[in-house]
Amino acid sequence: MIEPAIAPQPRLEWQLAEVRAIVVETPRVKSLLLQVPAWQGHLPGQHVDIRLTAEDGYQAQRSYSIASPPEDALLTLTVERLDNGEVSPYLVDDVRVGDQFELRGPIGGYFVWTVATRGPLCLIAGGSGIAPLAAMLRHRARRKVRAPTLLMYSSRSLEEVIYGEELDAMSRGDSDLRLVNTLTREQPEGWTGYRRRIDKAMLAEVGFPPEQHPKIFICGPTPLVEDASRFLVELGHPFPTIKTERFGPTGGLAS
Amino acid sequence: MTENNSVLFLDGNAAASLLQEIFVPDISIAEIRCVACGFASSVGSLRLYAASMGAVLRCTHCDGILIRAVHTRHGRWLEMTGARHLRF
Repeated sequence: MIEPAIAPQPRLEWQLAEVRAIVVETPRVKSLLLQVPAWQGHLPGQHVDIRLTAEDGYQAQRSYSIASPPEDALLTLTVERLDNGEVSPYLVDDVRVGDQFELRGPIGGYFVWTVATRGPLCLIAGGSGIAPLAAMLRHRARRKVRAPTLLMYSSRSLEEVIYGEELDAMSRGDSDLRLVNTLTREQPEGWTGYRRRIDKAMLAEVGFPPEQHPKIFICGPTPLVEDASRFLVELGHPFPTIKTERFGPTGGLAS
Repeated sequence: MTENNSVLFLDGNAAASLLQEIFVPDISIAEIRCVACGFASSVGSLRLYAASMGAVLRCTHCDGILIRAVHTRHGRWLEMTGARHLRF
């Protein structure tokens, strides 16, 4: 299941990214569309490091998943404001079009899916964990590939669903793409979707059976990732077919 | 990936930028085998315990320590006594 790495990785150099557009996704989430002049391209699912430097020289570094597909000219990062965060309040509340900050990437060939990958695709997202999975879905749509695909997306409320309209439009026009939303805290009147956290019964009900050998990507808060991956193993999916990306303190790993 | 200090561990993939300062091929998809239990997996799938100065990567099967990586002012340190091999 482990594919050999063939091409050497180019050195990861810091470069300046410029904010070209800002999209308000939800009350707590914005997407920053960045121009990165020397960008060498990326694969759907990869991430970048961002480094902010204060006037006194203090530096803070964080990792963010890339939400845009390789086909787009601008690089999209979708950032959720964490109230006690060091970097995200700046990126969500203070950054303006034309601002610049340092970025390096793309990073990580593990949590990656491209249209060359065979088999059905099962994506499971919690909250802003949708970002790297959106890069995969957008890549799949741009290339007009019909790989059977399922997105299970858990949000607290309809207001907090990120890329909601785009995902709806994507699945309406594509019978091979199933979109399953669950709203765990608050549901609008007449909501017919799921109303609970992603659990084993839900995964058994809507997920691909193990016999179809789906490639599975899970991204979100640790409890969601832990639960979903454990349930999928219990349902018979082999461990190496399940790739996970947990939220966490990934900043400050280097320098 | 966001900032949440209540989280105990991450996925090995999140250590890719630190380890990529040392390795030339993509380290996150290299196979690593645990000395303690013999389990082989991708570096990107290991359990990452991240701190500001570096990373500890543990086997998902037996929790043995496979990689310790630290980036200090005095250099980049990599300790892998818990790993039998890396295969690229």
